[in-house]
Parts: sequence; C-alpha cells; structure tokens
Amino acid sequence: MATSRATGRALARRLLEVSDLRKHYHARAGLLAALHGQTRSVPAVDGVSFALTEHETLGLVGESGCGKTTIGRIILGVTRATSGRVVFDGHDITALPMRALRPLRKQMQMIFQDLDAALNPRMRVRDILREAITLHERLDHPEVTRRTAELLDQVNLQSGKLASFPHELSGGEKRRVGIARVLAVGARFIVADEPTSALDVSIQAQIVNLLRDLQVRLGLSYLFISHDLEVVELVSHRVAVMYLGKIVEIGPADRVARAARHPYTSILWSSLVEKRSQEVPRTGGNGAAAWGVFDFERPGQGCRFAPRCPVYEATGRPAVCTDPASEPPLRDLGDGHSVACHFPLPR
Amino acid sequence: MTRSPVLEISDLRTYFYSRAKQAFIRSVDGVSLSIARGETLGVVGESGSGKSVTALSVLGLIGGSPGVITGAVEFAGGDGARAGGNGRRNLLQDLARHVTVTERDGRIVAVAKDEPGWQAQVERSMRGVRGKEIAMIFQNPKSSLNPFLTVGQQISEAIRLHTPVKDSREAKERAIAWLERVHMDSPRLRFDQYPDGLSGGMCQRAMIAMALASEPSLLIADEPTTGLDATIQSRIVALLAELKSGLGVTTLLITHDIRVVSRLADTVAVMYGGTVMEHGPARDVLAPSVEPKHPYTSALLASLPSAQKNGGPHAIDGRLSVIRGEVVDTMDVPRGCRFYARCDRVTDTIRARCMSQEPALAAVTAGHQIRCYLYGDEPRDGARAG
Repeated sequence: MATSRATGRALARRLLEVSDLRKHYHARAGLLAALHGQTRSVPAVDGVSFALTEHETLGLVGESGCGKTTIGRIILGVTRATSGRVVFDGHDITALPMRALRPLRKQMQMIFQDLDAALNPRMRVRDILREAITLHERLDHPEVTRRTAELLDQVNLQSGKLASFPHELSGGEKRRVGIARVLAVGARFIVADEPTSALDVSIQAQIVNLLRDLQVRLGLSYLFISHDLEVVELVSHRVAVMYLGKIVEIGPADRVARAARHPYTSILWSSLVEKRSQEVPRTGGNGAAAWGVFDFERPGQGCRFAPRCPVYEATGRPAVCTDPASEPPLRDLGDGHSVACHFPLPR
Repeated sequence: MTRSPVLEISDLRTYFYSRAKQAFIRSVDGVSLSIARGETLGVVGESGSGKSVTALSVLGLIGGSPGVITGAVEFAGGDGARAGGNGRRNLLQDLARHVTVTERDGRIVAVAKDEPGWQAQVERSMRGVRGKEIAMIFQNPKSSLNPFLTVGQQISEAIRLHTPVKDSREAKERAIAWLERVHMDSPRLRFDQYPDGLSGGMCQRAMIAMALASEPSLLIADEPTTGLDATIQSRIVALLAELKSGLGVTTLLITHDIRVVSRLADTVAVMYGGTVMEHGPARDVLAPSVEPKHPYTSALLASLPSAQKNGGPHAIDGRLSVIRGEVVDTMDVPRGCRFYARCDRVTDTIRARCMSQEPALAAVTAGHQIRCYLYGDEPRDGARAG
C-alpha cells in the first residue's frame, strides 16, 4: 500500500518548487549605527529549497522563530523574498508582474492560525463566502447560492450557520468557514499555518480529517506549518524540519519522525512530552546535555546547530562542525531522505 | 492513616452573566475535588470546560458583575496545618451572604449581588492566602511578570513579603538560590535582567521560582506549558516533575494537554461542560486501554494523534477518531447528561435516563468515580427531573 502511494506520487506533477529562498530582515540598530552604515541583518530564511507535488502534504516543523511562517508568506507573495525563486505550476511567480500573477494567485491560498482575526467580524458567514465566490468571477445570484451550498457541504457546516456572525460560531465552525472561503476562490495549493493549534483536541481531530478528506476529493496540496509534531507526522506525506532559517532534514514523514538522521530532528521528536514506549533518544545519553539557548541573530560558525548539538559534544567537538567554510549542505541519503549534517545519526 | 487534604472543594459553582446573550453561563457547575498533601491533581478538559475558572474561584479571582461563586473551598495550610491539621477554613465563608441566586425550572433567572460587600469579603478571606499560602503560575509567563522590575526584584519582593526573611541582601541570596533551583542558567546575571530580555521558557522558570519562593502550601499551575516550544515544554515538564519529587509541593495542575497531566499528576479529574465527568488515579483514567472509563474520557484519548499511531497500522489514511458535534453550551446546559449529544456508548436501557437526568459521580473502584449510567444508577443529587 505504502509503495503504491509512493510511486503514485513520483508520477504526480510537480506543483510548487522553491529554490534557494532567502529573506533577511534588518534589525533596527539605532541612529548612530545607521549613520555609520552598520545595520545588522537577521536571516529569517536562509537558502531554503524544496518541491511539492500535486495531492501532497509537506509538513514544515521547527521552533518559533525558525522561519517556517515566513516561507509560507513568501510563497503566497505576502512577503517579498530577498532572493530566490518560487515556481508555481511552471510559472516563476517571484518574477511575474501583479497582473499576470492574479489567475495563479487564486489557486494558492492560506489558512491562518488566528481564527478571530481571519474572519471579518461584521460580515455574516453568507457574505464572507459570497465575497470569496465572486472575487475572481462574476456569477448570478442562483449560481452563488448553489456554490455556497456546495461549499457548506464540503466543509460539513450546517446551512443554519449562514446567517451567523463569526463571534457566534465555535472554534471548529470558524475554522470550517475559513477553509470554505479558500475553497471558494478555487484553491489548489493551501498554506495551512498552524490550522489546528487554536482548537480543542476533539475539534482538532475533526479539522485534521476534513483537510484530509478535501485533499482526496479535490486533489489539494498542502504546506502544513505547525509546531505540533504529532499532528504533522500524521497528516504529512513528507516532513521538512527547519532550524534557524534552514532545512536541516527533509524526507518521508515516518522516516523523519521515527528514524531521524539529524540530531536536531531526533531531539525534537524525543521531546514530545509523552515518553513514547520508553524510547531512549537515539543521540545517546542525555539529549538535553548541550541544549543551550539559541540566538538567531548570531548563529554559530559552520553548522548552525553545533552550539546545541549533543553529537558535536559527544564526538569531541570536531573542527569541521564549526568551520565557517563548511556549513553542511542537504545531502540525499536515498529514498528522498536528505539531511544537512556532517555526522548524521546511524540508521 | 490517610493524608489530610490541603484543599477540599465542595459543590463549587461559578456563574457569569453574558450581557450579549442575556443569559447566565454555568462555567463551573457543582465541582467537588480534594487534593491530599504532597499530591498533584491534574484537571484536564477542553476550553470552556471550566477548569481554569475552578482555579480562579479557589483564589476568589472572579471579578466582574455578576460573577458569583457558591459552594465551599476548605483550605488547610500554613500555621493551622503546622499546629496539628486543624487550621482548615472555608475560603468562601460568608460570601453567600452577599449574593442571591434565583433559579426557576433549572435555569438561573436572576442574580442579586452586593458587589462592594462581596469584594471586601473576598479580600478579607484571601489576605495572607493569595500569593503566600496558595501561589499560582499562569499560561503566559511573559505577561504575568512585571516588565518594569527585574526578575530578581520580583522574586525578592515575594520572599520579603511572604517569608520571615526581611533583609534585602538575604532575600537576594534566597532569590538566586531559587533561580538555581529552577535551573535558570547564569542565575546571578538573570537576577538583574528584565523579563523583556528573557525567552518564554526562562520567564516560566522565573515565574515558578517566584511562586515557590513564598513557600506556599498549594501551587496552582494553570496551563504551565501552553504556548512554549516543544523542546522547552518538555524541559518545563521535567522541571515540574523534579520539583514535585524534590520539594513535595501540593499542586493543582490545570491543562488541556493530556501528555503533561499523565506525566505529572497522581490523580486526574476530567472536566466537561463545567462539571467533573471522571475522577481517579492518573494511571487508570489516562491509560487508553484500561477500563472502565467515562465515554468522554475514552473518546478524548482516542482523538489524540498519538492514539492513532499506537493503535493499528500507522496513519494509512491519516484519519483521527472524532468526537462528533461541538462542545456543550454552558449557557444552555441540557437536562440530562452533558455529554449525551456526543456520546456513542448510549445503550437503549439507559437512553431515557441519559436524556432526562444527570448521573451522579459513582465510585467504580476505591478512589475512581465516573459520572455515567453505564457505571452507576444514581442520578445526581438535586438533579433536575425531566
């Protein structure tokens, strides 16, 4: 079963390709420093490349501040990249003018983390959906009504909720309206930024299932951004792990979650509070040994994870890890599993 | 000999009035719980289940008009307890004199409250308790610390206010010792830093240090790990586990994160719609395979991503088991069982009662109670007959 899925994906068309994406934010350093031309720039995203095929979910995980939300925003053109390319369905959207972007842009949508900020509090559900349906095409009234009913059916929302304002809805219902809205404009690719983190456990399960069903029925692709490792592992075909603006490991979800090759990934998953079947972290010894505080304005030289890395400590601080000239690149270890580490963990 | 409870909550009810909906919200609707000395009681529930309001009610932190608390909160801490365990007092004593709740046909129709008298009474009963005898740590550590005072100033203040240590230099040393105790790196440096310069995890450590520095008899931790990164969460949980075994702090732990509760709590109360649905030893209540269980508890455990993973083939279609419907509306509490509308274990023999009368918390084994007709016949005391 798993193999048939894998080959099915290999044949699927590539929908999105991101290459060497960079986004540097300039930190305010004060007037004097500015006069002297000294501005510090913080690399929020620092050379990220990945691809996404149709019908695929790519999970993007990492701690806060690692740049995962920034990537989602750049892909959708909400934030401009400092450099790098985003190719969607064969078009380089980083180079396209606004007018040419519009027909593509409606196929790429975002589900936001904040349920309340995402919906206009003064609009009824009916109007929120109508606005989205008629945004890109002119439709007459019966057609809008038909389309609205179809959307409600797709997200399992009762038609009685059409007259409600967002504040009258529960968290799960608000989330459903948000999903209906992106479907209304004809999304094929959805950036879901923490879509379940504001929801209760029982509702979270409903939304996870809904996203999965929609993917099967409508052939959607997701970039699923979350810090909830268990949910990501469950919904994603592949998972990318980010650390300080770089992808340190990317591969099939079960491989990344259960047979991580990067020490950071391994620590991340072993930090799931639940001690899953008394598993000992594969990094050997106390995983928290060198688990210092990170400072993304001053990443270490060479491998940016070295200052916190237990393997670096355990192997006697090899010089290659902190050599500024040899930051480890993402290397393919086979089967679509890549890792950026000089000393990947053994299988 | 059983350990005497530090805190004993009986039939606690906290109601609020929603102006927008012109209705009373039964946030906490008859909760009875007790915590033995040295024990950690975990209260789990989804949002709106009343778990946080329960904690706030214990401290009388229910402001706003008309937010009312009725019931009893017996607290045995501090001097009374040291003198021989007879220092129990009801923190909600005499509060009832300042409110009248009128109920008709199972609905609250009016609440009359003498606000100034109520507030004065709360202040009287809470003096020397809040912050000293009962300390609290909150979900959002950064906004719970004063941004204009250094971390050290805030901890020293707690020490000088709540412990016999009055000398400022000694208080500083104590504060630094507490920062070390919570594994804050470079504690002397952090002592002089403002909360602004600390990460979320460090702020939570500072909060814990400050709460413990007043040497409380009871610690209330309200969502102590929520909003922190995964790696930081596990380290805060590890710290709380270490403090629990090292200091034996009696703790009321409130969280929606079942993994945190299963790691830290001795006993667990599962709340739903303002009331306790199940109460018992953590290892029985939270182990997915152990029966008996309240239908809500089993459904909740089954809807966790980890349950999906541990049972059956791994995420073949990525579907989670779901509790259908929405969380019960505490403004319009149903006559029967609160979970009835979402329950999938109702049988024909009990259906009529599930719909009409709320079940009582029935003991299934010693110390393990379940509010469900599958496990007990009794309706709840004073349950509204259908």
